[in-house]
Amino acid sequence: MTCASFHIPRIETNRLILRGPEPDDYPDFKATFTSYRARFMGGPLNPYESWMLYAAEIGHWNIRGYGMWMIHDKETDKTYGMAGGWKPAMWPEAEIAWVIWPDAAGHGIALEAADAARNYLYTQLGWEGAVSYIDPKNLDSIRLAERLGATKDKSATTIDGNDAVYRHPSPADLDGTQLAHGIEMEISHYADPLFKPKGWAID
Amino acid sequence: MTQIPTLATTRLTLRAPCADDFDVLAQFYASDRSKHVGGPATPEQSWRMLATELGHWSLRGYGRWAVEETATGAFAGVIGPWYPLGWPEPEIGWDLMNGFEGKGYATEAAMAALQYAYSTLGWPTAISLVSPPNAGSRKVAQRMGATKEGMFTHERHGPLEVWRHMSPDDLGSGGMEAYA
Repeated sequence: MTCASFHIPRIETNRLILRGPEPDDYPDFKATFTSYRARFMGGPLNPYESWMLYAAEIGHWNIRGYGMWMIHDKETDKTYGMAGGWKPAMWPEAEIAWVIWPDAAGHGIALEAADAARNYLYTQLGWEGAVSYIDPKNLDSIRLAERLGATKDKSATTIDGNDAVYRHPSPADLDGTQLAHGIEMEISHYADPLFKPKGWAID
Repeated sequence: MTQIPTLATTRLTLRAPCADDFDVLAQFYASDRSKHVGGPATPEQSWRMLATELGHWSLRGYGRWAVEETATGAFAGVIGPWYPLGWPEPEIGWDLMNGFEGKGYATEAAMAALQYAYSTLGWPTAISLVSPPNAGSRKVAQRMGATKEGMFTHERHGPLEVWRHMSPDDLGSGGMEAYA
């Protein structure tokens, strides 16, 4: 039985290490989930609710065999947010989810982490697809879903009618395709400032 | 990574909570009986509570077990050491699932949990928090030999009675026999 003891795997990317949420990481989680930043994730929460949710993030791994990783900087070990698979009871489909601490936004960290998490779920756990449930007002998150190649699926069942469903490309869609190369290139451009684009299109 | 141990008492098995316990837990949280422990709650909230029970083990190194009626394998309750953020100190908590009241299961499992807290976790003392209208829970504390010490007000659960359990010495010297 996985529940009695579950070892959360570790993923390494170019700039990041993804590990299971640990007790020492809790203050960083709490700072975001008790803040306005959490408004699209069921928050802001009070400190008690935040701790109970943090415990649930870990217990999700025991129950499902997958869950949310804590994103760390490979060199400093500083945490930047969380990304991974998420499926509480009553979720129509398994989700790829992410949250980035406000200070860490804008460096492609969520993209790099969510891409690595998705690769793990697809190649190691055999997922054949995934969705992300996103508040339609959460434009940063919608943009990230689109950069990951996900598209809005208007026919998919939502959680409660207040969220939009973004469907991720299938494992085949990401197997050596132009889409996969594009994601890889964007991540590498964030990692190496030499290739940083001069600016984004504003329209 | 925390390995959740399994304990056995005369009639009960204390083991890791898991996915199969969800339906029974959701029925408990859907019922009025859960009003003393933060309910009623939706099935989704109940599932998160199940995940929270497991995550508590990782965060604290201990947590509550799913209590099984050994003879039938039925999931009868969630009982064990419990210390979420904002609790005044670590407690022994007990929630019996619907239909398992009145058999002495909470007392039996909670005594095993208390002994585990003292002998394995090295707690010097332990309390249990009881919601004032929860007469059944108060009786468990009394049967275990605990004494009411005062009140504590939690930001979410409101006012709670603080019951102090027998000390490790009192328990070790056979204090439980008087209540068995």
